[in-house]
Amino acid sequence: MTDAVAASGLGKAFGARQVLQDVSFGVSPGDVVGVLGKNGAGKTTLLEIMLGYTPPTSGGIRVFGHESLEMPGDIKSRIGFVPQQDELLDQLTVRDQLRVIASFYARWDFALIDRLCTEWGVDVNARIKGMSVGERQKLSILLAFGHRPELLILDEPVASLDPIARRQFLEQLLAISADGQRAIVFSSHIVSDIERLANRIWILKDGRLDWQGDLDSLKESIVRLHIRGTGTELPQFRIPGVINVRRDGAFATAVARDWTPEAQRALEKSASVQIEVETLGLEEIFLELHR
Amino acid sequence: MNAVARLVWAYFMGSALTRTLTAIGVVLLGLDVFILLAQPKAGEMLWVGVFGLIALFVGSSWMPLMFARLASSHAARVMPGARAKLLASAFVTVLLVSLPVGIIVPAAVVSDTSGLTEVMRDPAALKYVLKLAAITFTSAMIFAGWMYVVLWMLTSKRSLKGLVGTLILVLLLTLLPVREIRDLSVSTTWNLQQLVVVWTVFGAGFLWWPRVRAGRLRVDQPFGFVNRALSGRTTGREFDVLLGTSNPWLGVMALVVPLLLMTYAVGGASTVWLFFLTIFSTVTGAMSGQVPGRSRALWLRGTWSRATLFSAVERSVWWHNAHVLGALTLVFVGIGLVGGFSVPVLAYGVPLLILGSALSTYLGLAATQGLRWMEIVCAIAVMFAPMLLTSFISNMHASLVLIFALESGLFMLAVLLRHIARRRWMKIDWAVCRPERMMVIRGA
Repeated sequence: MTDAVAASGLGKAFGARQVLQDVSFGVSPGDVVGVLGKNGAGKTTLLEIMLGYTPPTSGGIRVFGHESLEMPGDIKSRIGFVPQQDELLDQLTVRDQLRVIASFYARWDFALIDRLCTEWGVDVNARIKGMSVGERQKLSILLAFGHRPELLILDEPVASLDPIARRQFLEQLLAISADGQRAIVFSSHIVSDIERLANRIWILKDGRLDWQGDLDSLKESIVRLHIRGTGTELPQFRIPGVINVRRDGAFATAVARDWTPEAQRALEKSASVQIEVETLGLEEIFLELHR
Repeated sequence: MNAVARLVWAYFMGSALTRTLTAIGVVLLGLDVFILLAQPKAGEMLWVGVFGLIALFVGSSWMPLMFARLASSHAARVMPGARAKLLASAFVTVLLVSLPVGIIVPAAVVSDTSGLTEVMRDPAALKYVLKLAAITFTSAMIFAGWMYVVLWMLTSKRSLKGLVGTLILVLLLTLLPVREIRDLSVSTTWNLQQLVVVWTVFGAGFLWWPRVRAGRLRVDQPFGFVNRALSGRTTGREFDVLLGTSNPWLGVMALVVPLLLMTYAVGGASTVWLFFLTIFSTVTGAMSGQVPGRSRALWLRGTWSRATLFSAVERSVWWHNAHVLGALTLVFVGIGLVGGFSVPVLAYGVPLLILGSALSTYLGLAATQGLRWMEIVCAIAVMFAPMLLTSFISNMHASLVLIFALESGLFMLAVLLRHIARRRWMKIDWAVCRPERMMVIRGA
């Protein structure tokens, strides 16, 4: 099956500022990818390159087998996008805005949108100019759902939503992804949402894809080690893949990546220590990687 | 005072471009004052200072946009005395830009007459020079203030209201001084009265705006139907709706008030009519500057590549502009037939209207990367070239071959700008070319 998105060696610079470097990945139908990164890590740029809004300065990216910069219309109609800052027309009513956008697609699920408008409390007669940031965000999400896209890309879609709307949105996203035929890529600073929804995690750090893989692998790979020596002082030893370590007498706490039971056995044997492994939540992993 | 000084500094020195222009302006003005005061009969060197003034003004051209964004930001509501400081910074900027006019014009007169030493010795001459300095300085303050308003409207108010306002202001800015000069009615007192009234009204309105706005919102609802009728962008093709070109009749309506004003003020003078209608057609075409950013919303929603999207956008913009251009041409021909314009004026005037619109349309479409040196130079050329040509066309003794050649030159420039615009659209990067409102959000 063709990847929904496939990228290799992607780089992007704005003038002298390198935003992305050597980023490679693949997104298959059924994937729900959560993109994590600090502010300015390159999340929005990465998503905009996927969508063909901006050309990469190096490497290549294909969406449903086509170069993202030259996607034909039938490929574009398979993509839905929720931008970080909405692109709504203030002068229109919600109904008019929905009609305008629907007119660009051969298929538009009016029943789905009507249902979501009711469930999400979106007043179709309201003028967009008078809507709150959260209401505008809901409408932006609806506009991306209407043509039932096979690839849904969302750039911090829940940032302005209240907890109830956020939960409704996540449930809808789960429903969309349930058939396993669609791919979803979304960035967010709300790590718990990504943890709940995503089956694959990308962590962007300094313009590079520092981690990509499924959530369970990430949790198995990056762990906190509680190390206890036999004497009053810990002997000197080297922890493979260590991210940070804190020593205190006969005890030490370390965070390591690519941790395996083999590495644990080897270290316990060579340094004569006991190691207890603690699995971290996604938020802690993210913080440790950026410490 | 510190905040005001910092704001003014930011207006003039906010970017590499404005820093350079400000520095060039200051150097040219200083050089010109030196030449005029040191050299006898050097009045013709005033042009050095004029270029310095233009550079200084363009160097401060971010002021209206920065001022408006700061004024509408949430920060302005919570910072102590923010609106008063903003107002003061705008006033100081206008003052700084106008001050050199009050120096170089009298300096040129001094240079062309008896020289600085002689003027200082002669009380009557000194009084005359000081009076001239006061008049030119206060006139410059009035003119500069309105020019900043025009700049603000051109850069932020891309709407029917904005277009009407811009056209009326351009008209008033040009006509009123002409009338005053013709009637010899200008005086320092009259200028000061204007300045006091304008700045008092503007200042009071600006400082009280948050309360006025709150009041306006309360009475807005009963008249909501009027707002809805005026905003009327819900008609037209969806493609045009997203681009903002769906209702060209709004552009035509925007001409009504300025044209009525012109009929009252101008009468039947062919030169003035052609001059202003050319400005109108150029300003109307410049509205295409919003299109590259707005086309971002279209990219994922159609079958077009970047090349075909440019063609579709170009068609949409011309479909919109053709209505306005048609109205302007009808007005020009109608007034020409009634007012007895000569055949050459009519024959060369109509193509000039089209050329003015074409030049600014393609310049707007080419602005896919914001305003840079090339865009600024072209914008100045595009504004001034058609206006200069109007004086040739209206001159009874001007060679028709020369006019034809000049219009052909403008046509070639339009073709070149279209080529540049098309090439840029092949590589348009919507990560750096975003709709205006998003920029406002980021700037706030």
